[in-house]
Amino acid sequence: MTRRISKYKRFTMMNPIIQFFKFIYLSIKVLIVVAGGHGGTRNV
Amino acid sequence: MSKIVVLGAGIAGHVAASHLRRKLSKEHEVVVVSPNGNYQWVPSNIWVGIGRMKPKDILFPLAPLYAKKHIDYKQAKAVSFHPEGDSKEIKPYILAEYVTGDEKGTREKVTYDYLINATGPKLNFEATEGLSPGKNKTHSVCTYTHAQEAWIALEGLIKQMKAGKKTKILIGTGHAKSTCQGAAFEYILNVEQELRKHKVRDMAKITWISNEYNLGDFGMDGMLMSYGSNIMKSNEMVEMIFEDRGIQWILEAGVSKVEDGVVHYETLDGEYKKKKYDFAMLIPSFSGHGFKAYDKEGGDITDKLFRGFMIVDADYTPKPYEEWSVQDWPETYQNPSYANIFAPGIAFAPPHSISKPRKSKNGTDITPAPPRTGMPSGITAKLVADNIIGMIKHSNNELHHKGSMGNMGAACIASAGFGTTTGSGVSITTYPIVPDYNKYPDTQGRKLGKTFGTIGLAGHWLKLALHYAFIYKAKMKPFWWLIPE
Ligand SMILES: Cc1cc2nc3c(=O)[nH]c(=O)nc-3n(C[C@H](O)[C@H](O)[C@H](O)COP(=O)(O)OP(=O)(O)OC[C@H]3O[C@@H](n4cnc5c(N)ncnc54)[C@H](O)[C@@H]3O)c2cc1C
Repeated sequence: MTRRISKYKRFTMMNPIIQFFKFIYLSIKVLIVVAGGHGGTRNV
Repeated sequence: MSKIVVLGAGIAGHVAASHLRRKLSKEHEVVVVSPNGNYQWVPSNIWVGIGRMKPKDILFPLAPLYAKKHIDYKQAKAVSFHPEGDSKEIKPYILAEYVTGDEKGTREKVTYDYLINATGPKLNFEATEGLSPGKNKTHSVCTYTHAQEAWIALEGLIKQMKAGKKTKILIGTGHAKSTCQGAAFEYILNVEQELRKHKVRDMAKITWISNEYNLGDFGMDGMLMSYGSNIMKSNEMVEMIFEDRGIQWILEAGVSKVEDGVVHYETLDGEYKKKKYDFAMLIPSFSGHGFKAYDKEGGDITDKLFRGFMIVDADYTPKPYEEWSVQDWPETYQNPSYANIFAPGIAFAPPHSISKPRKSKNGTDITPAPPRTGMPSGITAKLVADNIIGMIKHSNNELHHKGSMGNMGAACIASAGFGTTTGSGVSITTYPIVPDYNKYPDTQGRKLGKTFGTIGLAGHWLKLALHYAFIYKAKMKPFWWLIPE
């Protein structure tokens, strides 16, 4: 069955204060994934 | 002294040229050959396509920047490759044709010591009968001019809706083997939000049409991801968003023909169907540019350099899906026949798709092609530049920088609507891009935690922040290199 976005969830998704902290968290998380490095796969 | 020629000034070509120029002394020459005189930040085309940005907000002219930074720029297109030179020219060269000014149409042999082919894809509209931006009510957002035209058409339709016309909008992929589902996904959500802002949402039926087997496949075989404290499949996430926005969907669809307001498609079940629309945005298939290559004697050696896109250090041995491995994917983007030629970004030939290949009952391949988004395009371009710098400085052919898409993360911040307080974004990170089923057997080949998704206003802010950060970086303003690819 398809999941639905609840009223509470929608409130947290669009609340600028909550989302401000989410923005900082997201920026760091994205940076970790991106700056987390990369390499080959054949000689590991 | 070495001369490095970079073909293309998109994300990959521009990243490579700017890092080469910054790290190499002025005795070495960096030459960029690219037909479009502007750099464009392609991801923001989505916002041009809904009228929230103008083309001028997402582009800048390359010639003044390159003149200032001592990068030689030729507004020309590569026509053919001559990696051994010819009877008159001992150095390898590419034949370039100027596309503007007094020199328009004239051809020049541009010699090189190292060549970076970053020409990206050809937008292969011709592969689908009747698919052409601005024709048959179909549009594209793949370039800023296409996106601008799409907005003009959409704006006209919004006016008609305000006057009481009920409409049908179709957005997705325009070929059985298209890629870039992510861009179409962003566009459908942005269009939906714009219609709400214009108070005409109830006048339009919006439908997603795609060659994906499941929603949220994105040409990456879908993903299992952390979502808050839950674990969710990407198809569940996209289904949840589409349900929430009242968007209907058609999957497993190989679009084969477009007529005025009617799209024809085949399904995996082998059925041939039609769908009517008043406005469509369909991503075409991507192909190589059809370059030819010649040896010293003028013999055709195209198959040493190209299989559609450029051949690099991937394992192209044909094998069944069950035997595909992450090790098939390239690490250095170097052509195996010519050690001084590289192809980062979209220009390299992938070994196979990432999504499981599927054929319709009639034998038509209906499988998303593998995406190469902006981040891996930038990362592969930088590592190619670093390897060339290493080769020049140490006068050897050793490549120390490697970056397989099977050992690289990507972030896809998909805009889901524009607006400082009303905007939204679907932020997804994936690690690795190509699933490694041996390393992560229980989580569909990906590392949970580094593969996560979230929806909300913060995603819009992040996407907007990235827009400004990457344009700043591309303009090579102070400390630009501190911003990661
Ligand atoms: C609408 C849209 C939205 C997107 N959104 C995102 C996003 O949100 N995040 C993300 O990560 N990725 C996104 N992408 C994907 C991203 O834009 C691509 O991954 C990226 O542009 C690929 O870079 P590239 O340099 O390999 O190719 P391109 O950007 O296509 O650049 C190719 C360059 O080669 C030049 N060229 C073409 N032919 C020749 C020739 N004969 N000789 C010389 N030069 C030539 C072109 O003029 C161009 O300068 C999006 C793509 C689209 C279409």
